[in-house]
Amino acid sequence: MKGHTLFNWIFTILASLVLLFIIAPLAGMFFDSSFSEVRTTAADPAVRRSVWFTLTIAFASTLFFAVGAVPLAWIMARKKFPLKRVVQGVIDLPVVLPHTAAGIALLGFISREGVLGGAAQKAGIMLVNNGAGIALAMAFVSLPFLINAARDGFAAVPERTEKAALTLGASQTRIFFTVSLPQAWRSVVSGFIMMFARGMSEFGAVVIIAYHPMIAPVLIYDRFNTYGISAARPASIIFILVALLFFVLFRVLATERRVLFRREDDASD
Amino acid sequence: MLRTEKLSKRIDAFSLKDISIEVGKGDYYVLLGRSGAGKTQLLELICGLMNPDRGRIYLEGEDITYKRVQDRGIGMVFQDLSLFPHYSVKDNIMYPLRVRKMDLKERVDRVQRAAAGMNITDLLLRRPDTLSGGEKQRVALARTLVTDPKILLLDEPMASVDASLKDSIRRLLRRLNRSGQTIIHVTHDFGEAISLASRVGVIHNGKIIQEGTPLDVFNHPVNRFVARYAGIKNFFRVTFITSYKSASAISEKRTRFRLTRGEYPSSGLLIIGSSEVLLSRQGASGFGINNIRGVIDDIVPSPTGFEITVNAGDYFYADITHREMEESRFVTGEKVYVSFRPESLRIVGNGEDTKEY
Repeated sequence: MKGHTLFNWIFTILASLVLLFIIAPLAGMFFDSSFSEVRTTAADPAVRRSVWFTLTIAFASTLFFAVGAVPLAWIMARKKFPLKRVVQGVIDLPVVLPHTAAGIALLGFISREGVLGGAAQKAGIMLVNNGAGIALAMAFVSLPFLINAARDGFAAVPERTEKAALTLGASQTRIFFTVSLPQAWRSVVSGFIMMFARGMSEFGAVVIIAYHPMIAPVLIYDRFNTYGISAARPASIIFILVALLFFVLFRVLATERRVLFRREDDASD
Repeated sequence: MLRTEKLSKRIDAFSLKDISIEVGKGDYYVLLGRSGAGKTQLLELICGLMNPDRGRIYLEGEDITYKRVQDRGIGMVFQDLSLFPHYSVKDNIMYPLRVRKMDLKERVDRVQRAAAGMNITDLLLRRPDTLSGGEKQRVALARTLVTDPKILLLDEPMASVDASLKDSIRRLLRRLNRSGQTIIHVTHDFGEAISLASRVGVIHNGKIIQEGTPLDVFNHPVNRFVARYAGIKNFFRVTFITSYKSASAISEKRTRFRLTRGEYPSSGLLIIGSSEVLLSRQGASGFGINNIRGVIDDIVPSPTGFEITVNAGDYFYADITHREMEESRFVTGEKVYVSFRPESLRIVGNGEDTKEY
């Protein structure tokens, strides 16, 4: 970078401070814990169960809600309709709500007295204090990440390619799966990963719905409350590492997955 | 074959008004107009991507006004070509065949045939983003033509093609049309129109303002817009005669043009810009210059001076300035020489050796 002006120096320093602010606490946590502590905690069945449970529920929740969220994203990208801005506001609402408040709102909805909870109970499913309820809480606060990322992805697909497919005789459904979705794939997957990551790290909304079975963030909180910071720290480290591992894994898989949309005979790149 | 009846459509502030055109089987219909004239919208109405507010569309006698796009049997190649970037060339061309649930052997056969027809067999495994404008154009055409469309709609097909390749695309389109493919071609370039069209429709502000054969439209423009759109008035259907020493061209009215030496097709259209035509009483001198005798037929004021029409068997149009007019004081009925340099002659439709311009 040529010309180290005062402007450049100030911006570099400010940027470094913000990055340091993110890195320092995480690095500190790793340095403050001994390897043996982490190993012992990792062997703890309660911790293992909780981490695995969190990942499974977050993934299932993301997958389940993607079925509706992706079409909603497509509609938001392609269609004009009255009150569209209001709908966009509703989509963004969970981001601005205090998550405990979101949890309370959701609890009213899925408890036995609530609309969904009542219906579920008739079908013999308890949503509160249950994996299903936790999945709903995770989805409630993390859906905007998937919807908005997918919407941007669909909006970036040239509409002409969809029109061209129409003139070539394809149905709307076929066009969605063979033209729109493959071109928006990167954004959709990116949104999927963001929703998954946001969902599995959710505490506020989940803790209102279900303290047990314990997801990892609740377990960390529980360890902190019961035994103090030194007990919460190794559990945190394990959860962060596992979360990072899955985050990277999904990214890699997502890039691989794109290849499936190309044809096997396509060797040009 | 295709007939539109008072087709109207309002799109925001713009509207198409009472568009009635008729395209016969095997026609090459060029829709000519500036950008924003409503050409693309008209194509989208015809192929069914939009529904009209009023009016009807008939294809082979059937009312298809509200028929689904997919069922109309009309193929369209968009200006940006709209190839699917995530598929190879082969899969792009195969796309409409997969939609039609054709069996694999038939699909592969058709793709091979279409690729051979467009001369893109060696590109089949490439991805669209690695192709040149001309190659993309051929792929887009192949992808549409495998569906055997009753009518092929082309939206500015030369727009993404290098000037040097326009000739080969033009040749391709002409060959396609000669093989029986009915084509509606949208363009803003009158050169394209006269070199390809069997019929031309001039569209302006959402209305068709003139329709006819290319020569009709350009020789007898209905109004100043069409005239100015053409930009030129002097164009002649000619036969070229070349020999070892010289080259010349003879028009249908037997006017003889001297040309610079070079290679010419057997026939074509000669164009001279009105500003390059000089008028004098004695004729101009200079190496190889054309001097053609005629009589002044009309003198009309133009934005830059006067436009003088000379009848020399063929009609010539010359633009002269106010000052030149003051000096020469030409009057109608006067005998004059029409002079122009061979270098100022342009040949249009120099795509191939044919009389079908």
